Amino acid sequence: MDYDVDVAIVGGGLAGISAAITAANKGLSAIVLERGERSGSKNVSGGRMYIHSLKKLLGPRFKDAPLELPIKKETFEIYTGEKKISFSFENKDTENSYSILRSKFDTWFASEAENLGIPVSYSTLVSGIDREDGGLVLRSDRGDIRTPLVIESDGAAAFTSRYLGLVKEKKFPMQPVAKIENNPDFMPRQFMVGVKEIIDNKTENDYGEARTILGLSNGVKGGGFSYTNRETTSIGLTLKLDSLEKHKEKAFEIIEDFREKLGIDGKLLEYSAHLIPFYRYDSLPPRYAENLLVTGDAAGFLINDGFTIRGMDNAIESGRLAGEAAKKIFDSGDFRDTFAYEQLLEDSFILKDMKAASRISTLFGNERTFDAYPQMMAGIMERMFSVSDNPRENIKDVMRDEVKKTGIGYYTLIEDMLKVI
Amino acid sequence: MMELIKRLGLNKNEVGNTSHISVNTDICKTCVDKPCINVCPAGTYEEDKENGITVHYERCLECGAALFACPFGALEFKYPEKGVSYIYG
Repeated sequence: MDYDVDVAIVGGGLAGISAAITAANKGLSAIVLERGERSGSKNVSGGRMYIHSLKKLLGPRFKDAPLELPIKKETFEIYTGEKKISFSFENKDTENSYSILRSKFDTWFASEAENLGIPVSYSTLVSGIDREDGGLVLRSDRGDIRTPLVIESDGAAAFTSRYLGLVKEKKFPMQPVAKIENNPDFMPRQFMVGVKEIIDNKTENDYGEARTILGLSNGVKGGGFSYTNRETTSIGLTLKLDSLEKHKEKAFEIIEDFREKLGIDGKLLEYSAHLIPFYRYDSLPPRYAENLLVTGDAAGFLINDGFTIRGMDNAIESGRLAGEAAKKIFDSGDFRDTFAYEQLLEDSFILKDMKAASRISTLFGNERTFDAYPQMMAGIMERMFSVSDNPRENIKDVMRDEVKKTGIGYYTLIEDMLKVI
Repeated sequence: MMELIKRLGLNKNEVGNTSHISVNTDICKTCVDKPCINVCPAGTYEEDKENGITVHYERCLECGAALFACPFGALEFKYPEKGVSYIYG
């Protein structure tokens, strides 16, 4: 088969553009297919990027990136009823992460690939893929593209893998959801939906502030966030689909409540939503197949270790590695053998960090984390900060008593604590 | 619901003439929980006495949550050719 390009990249987001830039630097011909009218027009992220991967990819050109503010203050807030526990960490020296608005950023990022001679075909929706003569044919509303290698960067729903039959949802016969929700094949367990608002609220600081908020999602498993940008503030919730399914309120009602409770004033400028992968490490979707490399959210590269939740640096790094692997595969001449990509991933921080975080992610799958533990901590705080005519209680007794109230055994408690450490 | 329509109205959305989402109403009619309604952040799915579910595809934010929320394979979701464009993202 005559090929149109060495490598076709489905999706012009962070992973796809990183792959394109790397492929161009390696001398491969490539095309990016992006369904939005420009890169970024369909993208939403919570709003903070850890920038190490971007720096590695771009080198000195990194300084031109249209990021928002460097995050120098982190706050954790845990709400339980009328009580709230919070702690903050400030570091004026750090520029480890930035708040980011993807529409602006991705448009610029795609132009970086275009400047290297990689065409980005916008408003191009891939509607199917066929295997033909040892290569792949991408079907799109702008015509077919023949290529020996596809880099899939199409987000959490991973339509490319779906078209190739690599990912299939298990379909259950009709029954109440309660009967199947604990089945490992129950797909809602593997995803979160992110709902986000951009508020017309400008920070007085010249640095950005990140807030991680637990306990304001009205009982749905998940968490909240807030990031300050140059001119606006991003707030939102990430909600586990399996938990949301059986909840009495809908996602848009929960976020309305959330904003009110946070007390952030200002006009609502934009309301957006995005799917977030939330696979367990041992049940990640396929990352490589014959003629295919899977990157970013499509490969389930989201890392949640309790302190940081990150997908964007993984997207950029996996895109870069896919571009490098594409060159190796191209040189080998055998496009069916794509294991070179898996080897690069295994040596990278992505799989190492995902593996390390896999223990703690089990913590975020259980009710204790969102219900009993915050109550227990708030109970301890309340008693330690209260003074009355009664003699002061000993902190050890208070802790023992509050742990007892939760009904959680010491063994489970210690096991959960060890997951964090 | 009014509040939702207002917030969706903030987004630029080029709605196509045909729906990019289809549901198998034979399945939806028998579905008790209707999880698609709860997970959709855009109110795209509404309960319908006759068909089980009505799809307001023009509200869709293209997140794909409903595709994975339905465990019974009743929902067919494709991205629309145009659809939503975010200014901030």
